[in-house]
Amino acid sequence: MVESPASDPTSSSVPPTLAARAWYVRGLSAGITSVQGWVLIASYVGFGGLCAGIGFPPGPAVFSSLLVLALPSQLLLVGGYAAGNGALVIALAVLLSAARLLPSVVTLLPYLRGRGRLVVQLFAAHFVAVTIWVESRRHLPPLPVEARLPFYFGMVTVFNSGSVVATATGFMLAGRLPHALAIGLTFLTPISFLLALTRNSRDLVDYLSLFLGLALAPLFAEFGGKLDLLWTGLVGGTAAWIVHRWRGRAA
Amino acid sequence: MNASTGDLWPYLLVIVAGFLPTDIWRWLAVIFARRLDEGSEIMIFVRAVATALVAGVIMRLVLLPTGDLVAVPLAIRAGAVAGGFVVYFLARRSMLVGVLAGEAIMVAGAYFTTG
Repeated sequence: MVESPASDPTSSSVPPTLAARAWYVRGLSAGITSVQGWVLIASYVGFGGLCAGIGFPPGPAVFSSLLVLALPSQLLLVGGYAAGNGALVIALAVLLSAARLLPSVVTLLPYLRGRGRLVVQLFAAHFVAVTIWVESRRHLPPLPVEARLPFYFGMVTVFNSGSVVATATGFMLAGRLPHALAIGLTFLTPISFLLALTRNSRDLVDYLSLFLGLALAPLFAEFGGKLDLLWTGLVGGTAAWIVHRWRGRAA
Repeated sequence: MNASTGDLWPYLLVIVAGFLPTDIWRWLAVIFARRLDEGSEIMIFVRAVATALVAGVIMRLVLLPTGDLVAVPLAIRAGAVAGGFVVYFLARRSMLVGVLAGEAIMVAGAYFTTG
């Protein structure tokens, strides 16, 4: 199995499976040493705490980190559940918010082509979210083409399993911490998401959609009926976009 | 609804309302893998709606909470958000410092008001 390095150190005759495994291991270690990855894991500890705080059961909370792996989608899911929204309303809200993943996947695809098998590409695309996108854009371009996919799956393994463990940890912590600290854990995801949205805002349209989302939420919660969250997103987002268009034309 | 479907319902919800509406975009991207311009008007619109949605759900969680946060008075919940925001800007847009400030207000407030 192990090839003697003395036989031919620059060999290209290394079995492809062995090479792929080596790249996978490098991907694992890149994932473990990723600062973004640790921020992600801390966020999932907060998500677990939030689920405990709002009464979303632990099994489905962990299941969502395993399967959905997009924190905004999961936040809408458990937030909608806590607000008593129906499945269809939550699904629509998640559908609207997750549309932002489409360009992320498209820009990453050139590095995830592999041997061109559609099933492999679909499987690879399933794991695309903000953190893996950032780290892939950093690590994958300089790698040889055949190394990219195994390296990517190495990072994905760390991020996905880390998210799962972190969610369970956060949920358990919430039950064991003193009451005030458990409340702090519940609050971690809302406050860090709010500041992250602020930090990520570049243009007027970003700030405006953030502000309108915050301002319209209580209004629609009072008067918007069952679809209040959707109204908040659609009305707030559309209004911000119209102002952006109008300013663009005026300039 | 009997006990077993009641237990399974949140799992089903994760699949139907979390996994499928998220992954459909990831799969569509693979299937229609044309290069999409991130700066195009349609993507700016998509980003705006997504931002407003997530901002909206955050506001709901803080202003109209269910579960643990209900025990904390509204003034403290609002103060923790506002405090985190102000400190974030004062600390030259440091997320860590902003989050810590908001958390400090929330935890201290919860400690003194809910016991």
